[in-house]
Amino acid sequence: MAAHTSKAFLSLGRINGPGLGFHNSLTRVTYATALSTTNSTGNKGFPDRGNRGAFVRKPRREAGEPRTEKMAVNQDWTAVYSAAAPFKPGSVPLPVRMGYPVKGGVPPEKKGNLELIKIPNFLHLTPAAIKKHCEALKPFCTEWPSALDTEATLDEHFPIKLESTDYISAGTSVRNPSARIVHLKVKLSRLNLDDHARKKMLRLVGDRYCKDTDILTIRADSCPLRQQNYEYAMYLLTVLYHESWKTESWEAERTAADMDEYSWEDSPSQKNILDTLAHMKMAGEGEGEAVREELLGRPEVQEYRDSVMRLKNEGESESSMHQYREAVKKVLNL
Amino acid sequence: MALYRLSFRLRQTVAYVRPLHTSGCGQQQGALAVESETRQEPFSIFRTLENDPACQSEKHVGQYYTLPSAHIHTLFPHGLPQRYQLQVKTFNEACVMVRQPALEVISCLKKADYSKPAPRFLFYGVKGSGKTMSLCHTVHFCSTQGWLVLHIPDAHLWVKNCKELLPSSYNASRFDQPLQASNWLRNFRVTNEHFLSKIKTRQRYVWTKREFTEEGRPLGELVDQGISRVKSSSDVVGAVMKELRLQSGQPEAGFRMAVAVDGINALWGKSTIKKEDKSPVSPEELTLVYNLKKMMKNDWCGGAVITALSQTGSLYTPSSAHLPQELLGEEGFDSMDPFVPVSVSNYSEKEFESCYLYYLDRHWLQHPQTRTEEGKKELIFLSNRNPSTLERLCAFL
Repeated sequence: MAAHTSKAFLSLGRINGPGLGFHNSLTRVTYATALSTTNSTGNKGFPDRGNRGAFVRKPRREAGEPRTEKMAVNQDWTAVYSAAAPFKPGSVPLPVRMGYPVKGGVPPEKKGNLELIKIPNFLHLTPAAIKKHCEALKPFCTEWPSALDTEATLDEHFPIKLESTDYISAGTSVRNPSARIVHLKVKLSRLNLDDHARKKMLRLVGDRYCKDTDILTIRADSCPLRQQNYEYAMYLLTVLYHESWKTESWEAERTAADMDEYSWEDSPSQKNILDTLAHMKMAGEGEGEAVREELLGRPEVQEYRDSVMRLKNEGESESSMHQYREAVKKVLNL
Repeated sequence: MALYRLSFRLRQTVAYVRPLHTSGCGQQQGALAVESETRQEPFSIFRTLENDPACQSEKHVGQYYTLPSAHIHTLFPHGLPQRYQLQVKTFNEACVMVRQPALEVISCLKKADYSKPAPRFLFYGVKGSGKTMSLCHTVHFCSTQGWLVLHIPDAHLWVKNCKELLPSSYNASRFDQPLQASNWLRNFRVTNEHFLSKIKTRQRYVWTKREFTEEGRPLGELVDQGISRVKSSSDVVGAVMKELRLQSGQPEAGFRMAVAVDGINALWGKSTIKKEDKSPVSPEELTLVYNLKKMMKNDWCGGAVITALSQTGSLYTPSSAHLPQELLGEEGFDSMDPFVPVSVSNYSEKEFESCYLYYLDRHWLQHPQTRTEEGKKELIFLSNRNPSTLERLCAFL
């Protein structure tokens, strides 16, 4: 019926059916054609454009069985995913589900799941695949030297150890700026440093030295490339070594507060004990230097000196306090 | 009830029978009861009749001896810790426990040779372990021996909360504290009345244009001068210290001096006193502190210096610090060196027992559960045998 009514309203444009109060059989028709619009030809509902040639779509094939049905349990997986490829639900025989679950339901299945396709997958890097890679790389490798079997021999022959990290990620770019960082580790005992040089080196280096393991760690990350950072780290090590051997003129201006360790000689403690002993008139007769030497040579004074050094250098504890007390009692004859 | 029955049974074995006293402290363990029997002390195990510190020895460790109440005001006008003073008022008696650190120092003092420079002792220990009380015990010993006692109860009071700060008349770079100085002089006079007339000044002191003290005047006059003329009191303190220092070593002086300072770490610490332009005053710039530091040096003879550290009143030190070097600092340690550090620790088991029995005896522990074994274990656990913590805990019970 609709077709006939449309014919009648040929000249009219768009009609708003219900607004005009007509009965509901009015349809909205935008184009008026002179031809009938009934589907008499059976041409998939498309208008017949004369005899220009019907637009025939390819007949749609039915989807066949997914490959997963035909996979054997002991198949070679590296053949299925031989390189990085997006997730193919028909090729991965796992009942994976991903996505936000429907209310009261479960996450959607893998078939037609865009989430699984979006994420990076490492299906091409299974242990079997890695093994194959290693086998392929083996002809290009050389053997580890058999003489270098313990840590000790390694330390002996290769005292400087360099550490840097390589990063892999699945993304548009293989570059990672963190890959430029280089750590250089060396044991200070392997460097030829005398007493002054060692103390100066420790001061120059500061926190980079670990006292427990005696390892100096230099971290270089200021240059953009790893090779540049490596060269900078080696340069730093060389410079530190040479500078710590030099003695500058201003190093002579060190005061007692700058010293690393407490030294009893010329300290207020020594002065005090000498004055006290002099007051106690225990020195006997004598003049200046000789008396001093004699006093310093006494065993109780040596004991006192040891206890004070221990207190100042190691810090206080019950035992060091006890030692100090005994030493003082002996020296003062209490 | 069982306690009474036990005490009845044991009473028959004790030589003297004094029912009134033994009822309160019935836990007389067998061995200790025998000990008390041999010494014929029917009162209790935790007390000793030996009130003279000179005669106390190791076997009195852990026991309480009584300070004669008449002398407390003269001996310690300002020396005892606050809470202890309250306890003395409550119990109507001043009982001090004999402990190892004080005994050690007393024995050193007994044997020392006084023609040699003054030995210096330092009590150190955790908070509330009994340093000030040990100091007071030693001071009591010194005064019973007839020494002159220069007791500074808390050196921290001199470096903080100063209401009046005057520039010193003697030395322009230093500052006077008239209130603290006159306060101290008053207490000094109370303690050492009998010495003040005997000691004579060796030098002429000019206080202002019209006031001066001639040579040969008794020390009492000097002290009175300081108390009445508050402005010059700090300088008087300095003069008194100098005189005593010079004279105590002389064989003809006939007296020995004990310098007892509590909270000695204040001398080398920081002070909270500020000058008018809000810049901080270092302790050296205070006359009182400067003079006291001179006393601390061991260049004088004929006496001893007994000191105690104190974290409680100290400024800018962490509350966990209790070892000498931490509190004295490098400068302080070097000035005090060589000294004999004496460690004061928390109560031992025996001392704890003693304290517990004392409180029971004084009826200080009212709570019924304190008399049980579990109650006692709880007290040990809560206080960790720390004397001051125990005292505060028992105050609630």
